[in-house]
Amino acid sequence: MRTTSADLHTLTGAYAVNALSDTERAAFEAHLGGCGSCSQEVAELAATAARLGAAVESPPPPQLRARVLAAAAETRQVSPHVPKIADRRRLRWAGGLLAAACLAAVVVVTVQNVETSDERRLAQLSSEYSRFSDLLSTPDAKLISGTAPNGATGTAVVSASRDEALFLAKNLPQPADGKTYQLWLIGADGERSAGLVVPGSGPSVVTGLAGTERVALTVEPAGGSEKPTTVPVMSMSIV
Amino acid sequence: MPERERALQSLQSTPRDVGPTADDLLTLVARGDEAAFERLYDVVSGSVFGLIRRVVRDQAQSEEVFQEVMLEVWRTATRFDAERGSANAWILTLTHRRAVDRVRSAQAATHREDRAARLDPGRPFDEVSEQVDGKLEQRQVRRCLSFLTDLQRESVLLAYYQGYSYPEVASLLGIPLGTVKTRMRDGLIRLRDCMGVTG
Ligand SMILES: [Zn+2]
Repeated sequence: MRTTSADLHTLTGAYAVNALSDTERAAFEAHLGGCGSCSQEVAELAATAARLGAAVESPPPPQLRARVLAAAAETRQVSPHVPKIADRRRLRWAGGLLAAACLAAVVVVTVQNVETSDERRLAQLSSEYSRFSDLLSTPDAKLISGTAPNGATGTAVVSASRDEALFLAKNLPQPADGKTYQLWLIGADGERSAGLVVPGSGPSVVTGLAGTERVALTVEPAGGSEKPTTVPVMSMSIV
Repeated sequence: MPERERALQSLQSTPRDVGPTADDLLTLVARGDEAAFERLYDVVSGSVFGLIRRVVRDQAQSEEVFQEVMLEVWRTATRFDAERGSANAWILTLTHRRAVDRVRSAQAATHREDRAARLDPGRPFDEVSEQVDGKLEQRQVRRCLSFLTDLQRESVLLAYYQGYSYPEVASLLGIPLGTVKTRMRDGLIRLRDCMGVTG
């Protein structure tokens, strides 16, 4: 599996050119809410990238003009206010997202049918990543992500100073009947269970990282094992 | 059209000298002003479509994305905050995100892998170089790009114009994932300083 680890503050460039995966993008946007210098840098680098866009001008087919104007005349504009979200943690996440200055509007999508799925995705992300946002704003937070050959992705946010990590797996296939996924912390002292992982559920919170070099995910008999009994389906270095 | 292009060019280079700027227009659009949207369309549609076409390539898909983006500009103009950046930057940021979303969608996936395999990493800059003769804005972009190292330039341009993720860029350039992220950042910072962008 390919993994990558980064000091979050260095992701401003990749973010400004939309080169992050969806998961990393969402995690980085949560970080932006608590990091003024990144917000500022992202605004500048996005404006810089926009200049590259302006340099490849090419007129659209003329018939699109009337079509767009007619569609606009029949389309209600969104409210200028940030939507109210009852949950405080969601609100904080929404704040982080909106801090991405010029990117704020992209969470609202044009076409009706797209809007529904996008809003659902945002709601899902907001509950997942509100749990990340505290950790993401610690100065030494590291974002690690990897993609397994079957397309599943793992994302971990690790803060050594807080001795805490979050792990989130996406696109995990359902385990076979009688099997479960189990997360492990692996170091020189061996493996320690960090709990079972249910595909599609929220992030796992892991504390007590001392000596941990890798996190790994294995398939185990239902209920989990004392020690891993299969080859990891996903394994990421966190140091 | 040539007149509009000239207007656009001067809007970009000296935003305060000619008529209403894209920022003025977008602010009016936020109040539901359809006439302002019409004028804004004429000012920005060339760069919006040009960028989409560059990233998406396919003409029919580009036209679809273009209409979605322009309508999104109309719908969400209410969220534009002039204190946080220019209208051009806001619109093109939104445009790029939508164009990249389109090429990343599962539907386009196989198509893109073929493209990645064929791609000569030197190409995007050459294409820009060919196209950028003439206009002031483009000459400046070209000049500033020439101050980047090869890896910085290729990392930025492959991500921006081809819509590649950084792992895709890393694999095309044969460099580690961590390196490509820092090259993108360093390259954009160098461009920012050369262009005098203030955010
Ligand atoms: Zn930061």
